[in-house]
Amino acid sequence: MKGLVAETIVKIRELTKLYSQGEIQVTALNHITLDIAAGEFLALMGPSGSGKSTLLHIIAGVDRPTSGECLVQGVDVTKLNESELADWRNHNVGFIFQTFNLIPVLTAAENVELPLLLTHLTRAQRRRQVETALEVVGLADRAKHLPRQLSGGQEQRVAIARALVTDPALIVADEPTGNLDSHSAQEVLGALQSLRKDAGKTIIMVTHDPKAAAFGTRQIHLEKGELS
Amino acid sequence: MTISTFILKNALRNKRRAALSISSVAVSLFLLVTLQVALRELTLPPPSAGAELRVAVRNKISLTNPLPLRQRGLIEKIPGVEAVTPFTWFGGKYKNEEGMSFAQFAMDADKLNSVFGEAKMAPGGYAAFNAAKDACVLGKITADKYHLKVGDRITLDSTVYPGSLTFRIAGIYAGTPDDRNMLFRQDYLDESIGVPGYVGMWWLKVKSAEDMAPVIKAVNAAFQNTSAEVRAESERNFQLGFISMLGNIKTLIASISTVVVFTLVLVTASTMSMAVRERFRELAILKALGFRRRELFAFILAESFGLTVAGAVLGIGSAYALYTFGDIGKMTAGIFVSFEVTSRIMGFAALVAAVLGIVSAVAPSLAVARMSVVNGLKTLD
Repeated sequence: MKGLVAETIVKIRELTKLYSQGEIQVTALNHITLDIAAGEFLALMGPSGSGKSTLLHIIAGVDRPTSGECLVQGVDVTKLNESELADWRNHNVGFIFQTFNLIPVLTAAENVELPLLLTHLTRAQRRRQVETALEVVGLADRAKHLPRQLSGGQEQRVAIARALVTDPALIVADEPTGNLDSHSAQEVLGALQSLRKDAGKTIIMVTHDPKAAAFGTRQIHLEKGELS
Repeated sequence: MTISTFILKNALRNKRRAALSISSVAVSLFLLVTLQVALRELTLPPPSAGAELRVAVRNKISLTNPLPLRQRGLIEKIPGVEAVTPFTWFGGKYKNEEGMSFAQFAMDADKLNSVFGEAKMAPGGYAAFNAAKDACVLGKITADKYHLKVGDRITLDSTVYPGSLTFRIAGIYAGTPDDRNMLFRQDYLDESIGVPGYVGMWWLKVKSAEDMAPVIKAVNAAFQNTSAEVRAESERNFQLGFISMLGNIKTLIASISTVVVFTLVLVTASTMSMAVRERFRELAILKALGFRRRELFAFILAESFGLTVAGAVLGIGSAYALYTFGDIGKMTAGIFVSFEVTSRIMGFAALVAAVLGIVSAVAPSLAVARMSVVNGLKTLD
């Protein structure tokens, strides 16, 4: 019954994150409660320091809250140890960063293949999945190019291919268009939208840009660590 | 792509740095092998064919104190002694050379074959040595070095006795562990300096291995409480006594080796730290993608290990090739006769390289293990 009653993929309850800066304690997230449905394209907005990236990092399992719960597909990621979290991330989350973060000495295909090195797939199976991922983002013909031989938009699309190559349910994107011109930004956002529509992926995107946020199915705002 | 391709691409991403790191490890290990071989050559006298039947007799006070000529008769009468020859240091300098490049000893010509039988010469060499008072026999290494041949005359200025002596080469010998020395006749030396009645030391040949201990005991006892007490000992013990005098050199070489290894650790650790620090962000990405601490540690270890192993192959290999196939006599101006890079020394150097690879990976690995993904992503490229 997909599309009628959407399953909740991310369930956040009373999530709080405190940072210590010397003797001063900073509240990055203050008792956040939020549900994100499967297949949503959520745009997380807010000014700098509002806690949106911190929230994204906790959902993606690369940061830990001070208190509260964060269940992703029923798994409370705050309770997993370092090794379990690494394994969980590999199978369940795809990352897209503002600065692309491709490995400069690897080709586009090799960069996309990186997360698959942790799986038990054969070389041929990995190659097939890489080809598919690159086709999805329209870069099959650039498979053997190094990142420096690609434009910013193409680099980010390679990063998207890397994020979806393990077929995760959740894709998190931290300012994915922050370093791109408007044309490339449109391409990247279009690619993310297709992933939601065609592949049913849940996408959580942090952005400052209202135009980028407009591609999402829902927008939420964070202000001083609280949902507004 | 495989994990090993990934590691290799990372290790070679800065080719100049990788080449310099490998070279520094190679040069250091080459030096380490050289020092270890030199130490071995200095502390381990090469075995000699007749050594098990030879006894060295020297003044108990010191090797530089002479022994009276009259002792000879008593030594010859000791049961088990087959031959006795004086052996006196001449300390001659050849031509205008600064130091002595080969040693010269005066001895009895007719005892050369019986006491030092491993010195092989062309037919007629022994007879020619016996026939003329100014005759001498020269080790092949020295003869080759100065292009000397049988029949040539050489003049040596003594640093021990006044004046100089001229010799005619009667033979060129080879087959001893050190074919550099010159041997000439004791009676020629005695005659030139006025028969002082003293010799440097005695070399004895005993009849059988069973005679060694009793002969040594008897010689020591024979001159007890005389004005020239002696120390008789086997050739092996005599050589080891010499080696003990090299104590400081051993310490020096050991110290230099330690410094080499320590410097090597610093260089490699610093290289690895730099290599890891400059891609801290990438390692954070790998962590975000699901790579665990142990996998990242394995990457860093493999890279560090690869660099040191490449350096080791180059350094140890070059040392082996140079000292095995090169002319060590020429390279060291005759200081070393042999310079064997043993498998034990190569193994030691390889072990140093392996430990180095592991130690150098520890600090960057700990830094990566402690790094959170969020902080790693904040690192500037």
